[in-house]
Amino acid sequence: MYRVTFIDADGQATELTAQQGQSVMSVAVANGIDQILAECGGSCACGTCHCYIDDSWTERLPAPDDSEQGMIECLMNPTERSRLTCQLKMSEALDGLVVHLPREQY
Amino acid sequence: MTATPKASEHGTAFEPLSATFAQNPYPAYAALRDKGEPQFFADFDMWLVTRFDDVAGIARDNAMVRSPEFFMSEEEITEQKRLQNWLDMPHHQRFVQFSMLDSDGPVHDRLRKQVFREFTPAFIARQRTMIQSFVDRLVDSLIDKGEIDFVEELASQVPGHIIGRVLGVPDEDCPQLRVWSERVVQFFDIDRSDERKALAEQATTEFYHYLLKLMAERRAAPQEDLITRLMAAQDAGQLNEDELVSTCMLILMAGHGSTIDVLGSGMHAMLRFPDQMARLKADPGLIHTAIQEMFRFESPLPFFHRYATADCVVGGKSFPRGTKFGLLYGAANRDPAAFGDDADVFDAGRNPNRHLAFGGGAHFCLGNHLARLDMEVIFTTLLKRLSSVSLVDAEPQYKRGLSVRGPKALRLAFTPA
Repeated sequence: MYRVTFIDADGQATELTAQQGQSVMSVAVANGIDQILAECGGSCACGTCHCYIDDSWTERLPAPDDSEQGMIECLMNPTERSRLTCQLKMSEALDGLVVHLPREQY
Repeated sequence: MTATPKASEHGTAFEPLSATFAQNPYPAYAALRDKGEPQFFADFDMWLVTRFDDVAGIARDNAMVRSPEFFMSEEEITEQKRLQNWLDMPHHQRFVQFSMLDSDGPVHDRLRKQVFREFTPAFIARQRTMIQSFVDRLVDSLIDKGEIDFVEELASQVPGHIIGRVLGVPDEDCPQLRVWSERVVQFFDIDRSDERKALAEQATTEFYHYLLKLMAERRAAPQEDLITRLMAAQDAGQLNEDELVSTCMLILMAGHGSTIDVLGSGMHAMLRFPDQMARLKADPGLIHTAIQEMFRFESPLPFFHRYATADCVVGGKSFPRGTKFGLLYGAANRDPAAFGDDADVFDAGRNPNRHLAFGGGAHFCLGNHLARLDMEVIFTTLLKRLSSVSLVDAEPQYKRGLSVRGPKALRLAFTPA
């Protein structure tokens, strides 16, 4: 089991546990993190599972692939820390990951 | 595939072309959901899936595809088309039966990549001013009438014009595009008569010639629109001309009908639940959840198919590779297991509201943000500018069939604010 922490736009933190290979999106959806809409269900096709990676983690994640990067550029308020949580799979390397949630996805 | 009696022979009244179903499909959907496992529907030679978890699971599964070419030979596909009266309509087969919607894998990804930017939140947000000014002018022209058909005079006038502007179609051509779109889309339902077939093929042919003319104009004078950008993509080898025509037709057709239908059914839902309309009027900040709820409550495209590319288990029952499933989004979106005991109640503040009206997976509705913005602008404007709204006909008639859901007309009486 790995840990992942979601911090909402008001600064409220929620720490959850995740299985090996589980996407950060599915951890959020299964645990009532309602700011992650994930409308397409994890196919990188809707752009509604946007998060901002905490500064302490940005250097430690694998880079987004072309389809994720293409989607990120078209989101509302993207930054260099933007990622789609459906594309982030939990593993030992990501144990303790901290992500920040936008107030709205669109 | 095992021969199994159709759903009706189990005692489930499932007659999607009937007037009873058109007026209220939800008891029939509930009866199918209560069966638990998928039910065979002989008219479409497919298994109907109605429970939320099963529908979501299939829609989001990359092993479930739209095109049968993964496991059928060309001869088998031709034979299937013949049985379904899909054959001998050259332009329809070339531009409608082949499309981004009915492709999978790398071809689908390549085609979707050409157009997805125009439909993402940041790009759609730029259309807000244009949509607001279009809707303001339209409402200005109707506000003193006191009574209108909301579907024909308001809802039908907006989405086609907006998608037309995104693509690059002049305003004055939009009414004709709507006629073509409806003739093509109607042929998707289970009532595939020869008369409808002739209309669909003729509409596709005229549509094709119209797009050729528009493309020639853009070739001579490029504009800041999607069709010009798609032509540049064609020049760069990203898609061929048939794919370009097919994609333009798909976008125009998808941009017309379903948003008109959900505008009509959404307005009707608020009139059936006047406390929710009052709640939204008192708290306009609920507009996003209210629109989400309109899509859940009366999903405008309630039915899509998928083929299984591998053996699978759905609803506890095993199915072989090649099985065709009918995903009934309208049934899944009323499943109490997903939405609680009030699944049949319209709740403008429902949150979370993880409905399936836009489908799921790789084929998730491309135009969802544009549809929602059209609706947000229209309903926000009407709630501001009208002091009272009521139904003229207590029971508006809904379109018949399994593939669409929306009122044919919605006569409203209203008083300006």
